[in-house]
Amino acid sequence: MVNFLRLNRNVLIAAFAILLIFVWSFQQFEPQVTVSILLSGLTLGALYFLVTSGLSLIFGLMDVLNFAHGVLFMFGAYLGYTLYANPRLLINILPFICVIVGGALVSSWVLQRWSVRVPSIQTAQTLVVGCWIGAGVLLFLGVRGFDLTALSAGAATAAGGAIATQEAQESIGSYVGRLILLTAAGLAIGVARGVRPLHSINQQVRWRPLVFGVAMILIAFALLPFRTSVEQLILGMSSNWRFVLALVVGAIGGAAVGALIEWSLIRPLYDRPIYQILVTLGLVFVGTELIKGVWGPAGYFMETPAFFNQRGENCPSPNLLAWFSDNCASIDVLGRPFPSYRLFIIALGIVIFIAIGLVLQRTRLGMIIRAGVQDGEMVQALGVNVRQVFTLVFALGTGLAALGGVAAAPFIGVNPNIGQEFLLQAFIAVVIGGMGSYVGAATGALLVGMARAFGDQIVLSGIQLPGMAEAIQMSPSIARASTVLIMALVLLVRPTGLFGKKD
Amino acid sequence: MTNLLTIESIHTFIGQFHILEGISLTVPQGSITALLGRNGAGKTTTLRSIIGLNAPRTGQIVFDGMTIQGRPAYEIATLGIGYVPEHRAIFRDLTVEENLKIAERRKGDLDRKTDLIFELFPDLKRFYRLDGGKLSGGQQQMLAIARALVPDNQLLLVDEPSEGLAPLIVEQIITVLRQLSEHLTVLLVEQNFHMAAQLADRYYILDDGHSVHNGHMADLVEDHALIARYLGTGS
Repeated sequence: MVNFLRLNRNVLIAAFAILLIFVWSFQQFEPQVTVSILLSGLTLGALYFLVTSGLSLIFGLMDVLNFAHGVLFMFGAYLGYTLYANPRLLINILPFICVIVGGALVSSWVLQRWSVRVPSIQTAQTLVVGCWIGAGVLLFLGVRGFDLTALSAGAATAAGGAIATQEAQESIGSYVGRLILLTAAGLAIGVARGVRPLHSINQQVRWRPLVFGVAMILIAFALLPFRTSVEQLILGMSSNWRFVLALVVGAIGGAAVGALIEWSLIRPLYDRPIYQILVTLGLVFVGTELIKGVWGPAGYFMETPAFFNQRGENCPSPNLLAWFSDNCASIDVLGRPFPSYRLFIIALGIVIFIAIGLVLQRTRLGMIIRAGVQDGEMVQALGVNVRQVFTLVFALGTGLAALGGVAAAPFIGVNPNIGQEFLLQAFIAVVIGGMGSYVGAATGALLVGMARAFGDQIVLSGIQLPGMAEAIQMSPSIARASTVLIMALVLLVRPTGLFGKKD
Repeated sequence: MTNLLTIESIHTFIGQFHILEGISLTVPQGSITALLGRNGAGKTTTLRSIIGLNAPRTGQIVFDGMTIQGRPAYEIATLGIGYVPEHRAIFRDLTVEENLKIAERRKGDLDRKTDLIFELFPDLKRFYRLDGGKLSGGQQQMLAIARALVPDNQLLLVDEPSEGLAPLIVEQIITVLRQLSEHLTVLLVEQNFHMAAQLADRYYILDDGHSVHNGHMADLVEDHALIARYLGTGS
């Protein structure tokens, strides 16, 4: 019994604290208010969780404090929104990225396949510098004069609205010219990254990178004649399916950018952790400005898909079952309407929590991640290519953040500030939960979400303690401060966070 | 007897510290070779240089006819080297089964070896589903050795297997290592001279990053002056 108490001390303390908060809040507010606060807290918690899970996994496995996580969240939101409302912008930019990445994959594969060996380190260095300069020039020539504003201007048009597609796009001829230049730039980048004074002893040739690279280049060129019809196809879909597509594309896009960041900027710096932090911090500013450059400094409003925005005399839906048939914008919860889209966010958070948990517990990748969190060096000494796992986990984490961004877009809107706002809260949540612990990331996210929701309500109604004639009014900043307050309290009691094992 | 592993004057640095100052040694196939020496002599760093966790800056390491220095550790391990590190490095949050499973290089490696592992270490069978962190020190050491047996390794690098263990368990581990040396080559780092003397065929004495002495273990056991000078124990 005593042993049981000691082993589960944290869980018991947490359960007791939660119970206390419940009692207090039911006594403080009416039940329906409490329930709606709890649901709001859950919604925020689910969004925070999508950011913190990746942040915590990445820190736990590779000790990288990824400040750029918030930018990827924001990037996901913009990407999802663009696909949802203005796919033309995406269709015109995507081929550029495809040919650069495809080119890099192809040329580095060729270097590896034929074990190209550079005679000396000096030659290798010269070659690398030369290739980077060449790639830079080609990139510049490739994108020079490309008119972005004409493309993103259409974004102001509402989803599904008619957008004059033809005139804003470049002619196919000059676009092909750009693609060829950028393919060459990609090839040069691949050489610069692939040149090593020693070739690998692992002679096993994997065909997948080559197939993937060539496929990306081919798709970029093959898509061109159909770009208008693809756009019509996407805009012609029902808003529900378009939203699902936006979630998928946002997550994949975020994962791809994450993998690219890890491969190009993080990987060369594993021996210099301070520089890594500086790089990810720099990416915050660069990423934010890039997003402003492409999409403009103003924000966008993203409509909720039709599945969540029906209005009518039946609305709000009396219960969850009724909502499945009438798809009202809100659902009646104990007499107060609650937006149905937020229930979707909660469900998404729960599904992802379970899915990642299963991956961690049931797959070989998960086993390697759990082992790597404790001792990455030993995992490597057992013959596991940890660097490859790092890239994969980085991509997974950033993909989750981007997915969160898409899911958040109809709820909080899309603007260049959401990244920083979410990053700060996510960091607080990760610190509360304990760096590197998956369950900790979820708990921290939930706590921060709840604190925000309760904080907002307290600002609205004030606090009435027993024996007081009037409620104390709080300034709005208490809602923000509450999360930091919780963090400070947790750190005082447990310096490694609630579930943390690492120092 | 051919040499499975040959090291030629490697220099290894950790940060700015020059740890190995030109170590050369050979490990004959099918034998147990012991690395002896005081704390800080460079024994552990030698093993880490071989497996690639501290790559030597200069010098050459040849394993089974292939030069391996400067390769990433996972590639070196895949060539057939099993590493049993100091302090065992058991994954605490993984079960015993998972600790073994993670060492698989091909699917089914563990299934082929479970009988052998359970025969050598009956304890691991009893605690197969328990977390590695819940095992006793001796059991963890056995798990660490078992983990290196899962793939078909030719060479085992074993770092201080007797550290912090009760004499009875040390005897068990000696028995196991002797059994293993019938099929495997072992490079053993050991502070416990009693254990090294019982197991090893040949020895190298390291001192301050240099290899100062080597020969047959049987001769060293007789040479009390040499033992006192470099190993600091009177035994």
